[in-house]
Amino acid sequence: MAHGLDSVGPAVPASAEDAPGLLSRELAALNRVVVILASIALVAAAGVLTYSVIVRYFLQVATDWQDEMSVFLIVGAVFMSSAAVQARRGHIGIEAIVGLLPPRINRIRQVLVDVASLAFCAFFAWKSWLLLDEAIVDNFHSGSTWGPPLWIPYSLMTAGMALLSVQLLLQVMGGLTSGLRRRPSA
Amino acid sequence: MSVLSIGALYGISTLLVMFSGMPIAFALGAVATVFMVVFMPPSSVDTIAQNVYEEMASITLLSIPLFILKGAAIGRSRAGQDLYGALHAWMHRVPGGLGIANVFACALFAAMAGSSPATCSAIGSAGIPEMRKRGYPGGFAAGIIAAGGTLGILLPPSITMILYAVAAEQSLGRLFLAAIGPAGLLVALFAAYAAWRYGREQRAARAVHEKTGVYSELLRPDELSVRDKLDLLPRVLPFVILLTGVMIALYGGYATPSETAGLGAVLALILIALIYRVWTPRDLEPILTATLRESTMLMLIIGMSLLYSYVMSYLHISQSTAQWIVALALSRWVLLAAVLLFVVVLGFFLPPVSIILMTAPIILPPLKAAGFDLIWFGVVMTIVMEMGLIHPPVGLNLFVIKNIAPDIPLGDVIWGVLPFVGLMMLSILLLCLAPGIATWFSDAVMGTSDGACSSPLSRHQVGWAKALFAPCPPSAPMVGTLRFAHPAVSAVQALHRSP
Repeated sequence: MAHGLDSVGPAVPASAEDAPGLLSRELAALNRVVVILASIALVAAAGVLTYSVIVRYFLQVATDWQDEMSVFLIVGAVFMSSAAVQARRGHIGIEAIVGLLPPRINRIRQVLVDVASLAFCAFFAWKSWLLLDEAIVDNFHSGSTWGPPLWIPYSLMTAGMALLSVQLLLQVMGGLTSGLRRRPSA
Repeated sequence: MSVLSIGALYGISTLLVMFSGMPIAFALGAVATVFMVVFMPPSSVDTIAQNVYEEMASITLLSIPLFILKGAAIGRSRAGQDLYGALHAWMHRVPGGLGIANVFACALFAAMAGSSPATCSAIGSAGIPEMRKRGYPGGFAAGIIAAGGTLGILLPPSITMILYAVAAEQSLGRLFLAAIGPAGLLVALFAAYAAWRYGREQRAARAVHEKTGVYSELLRPDELSVRDKLDLLPRVLPFVILLTGVMIALYGGYATPSETAGLGAVLALILIALIYRVWTPRDLEPILTATLRESTMLMLIIGMSLLYSYVMSYLHISQSTAQWIVALALSRWVLLAAVLLFVVVLGFFLPPVSIILMTAPIILPPLKAAGFDLIWFGVVMTIVMEMGLIHPPVGLNLFVIKNIAPDIPLGDVIWGVLPFVGLMMLSILLLCLAPGIATWFSDAVMGTSDGACSSPLSRHQVGWAKALFAPCPPSAPMVGTLRFAHPAVSAVQALHRSP
């Protein structure tokens, strides 16, 4: 399982060139670990839901925690792996007009778009951190009968968005250093 | 600023940001956030993260990654080829049987995988070369696969339908059932066209053969022994069992739609492990990473689309627009035509998931006021979005076909696909003339619909299933005569009012 998201989808420029500097390798390694954990979480969520059907039907046991547990697992998997997806530029956008731009303008556009994405994701990460802090301090629990503490999903959301912001920051820096000065890569 | 000018500004800024090529998820989130900061009280900006989390943390929405996992597991195995091979073996005596087998294989595979591009590439990678070997023109072969693949968003477990059910507050189980009749209609139309076109091509080939002696593969009868047929059956059977098993679990009241997603994913993983020996981490890695990549991309778009429509609703943009449309007092069918045209145009740029979540609060109230059944409309809207998958300029499936059969010129593919677009339009017309095609089956299984919050299970079924199946959303604030606002708005507004 050495490739993270490499083997998937159309070929995208390698992230090494996208994000130079010392952090990029560490982030790539972290993303690989996250992808493995998120894959496990996804399969675990499927298992939990299957378990819930089985125990309810065969053992007539009431099910209360399974849905929420799966929600936590999947929310965590989605937010945590968003940086790995961004590293491969896997968050799709509308490319219809972009393709018509001359390469140089397009590079500038890419950097601007990354800056705007970074601004949004960083803002979201910050708000989500405030939410997490509030949930810990005030000890928020979910309203269900199981009532798990809400810092669990909130912390995964915060960490995921923070990781995504770091990824975008590296891509902005990469775009500024290699994209604008040297030969275009795309 | 008036609601109208804020609304116009909202729409225009969204278009501008989207066309800059910014990822759809971030674009929607950023526009929504900026409008929150400018036009909404500061306290609402503070709840942005909580808002997105609470919108997303629904097990119905989060079943989407599990359906994707199930589709990826089946799509990456040889199941597609096997399914196609078996159908071909059993139908080769029917005139045009090869084309028909491809249509059926697409439909069956779509019902297992729930994804349109996955269906195209799984069936197409075996089907297109085979059809071309037998003398089918490239464009015709491509058209069959591209159109057959679109059934992936119509047949259960369609992700598009899950979102529609959430956005329109309709029962997912009922919506799934309502799609089966129209999907059958489309399959029949596609198959009939494939047979007719095959006959025409064969006659043309025979004429050429008699005149010039040039032999076409279309004229060669194919021979398959009964033994061949029987050999192929066991490979397909498990998947048919998976399909029916999941359906029984769902409609027998044993599992909720989201539990079905988990069950389906687990069963699919077990089946590919047993039949195709796909079980080592190395084998599973591409399946899981592909699933994760698609799910994360999609779920972020969904979460941000929900934030986007929350802002639209808070600022009364959606309600005002909806009221404005109602006030136009268009005749029912003009209204429907206008709405569908709007969806077609959006389909040029946006994936179905965003179209549904962004437009539902605007287009559904007028349609409901005009007396359209929202379950029925969900099916019609999905067929319109199916067309968007195969017509230019975007036509996602066209690119999938281009990938698996690069030597068919794009022009041929597009010409081959157009008759199928026509057949989809015909099916929409038929659905308008006879809405029962969609609603009959769901009503027969679940009892007649009594509006947005009907109980989808027949009366003799157990209570818990009823409760789990169709959670009635909290009633949204009355907007004029329209009961349709974003459910979260009322909650948050109440929060702001209280000290």
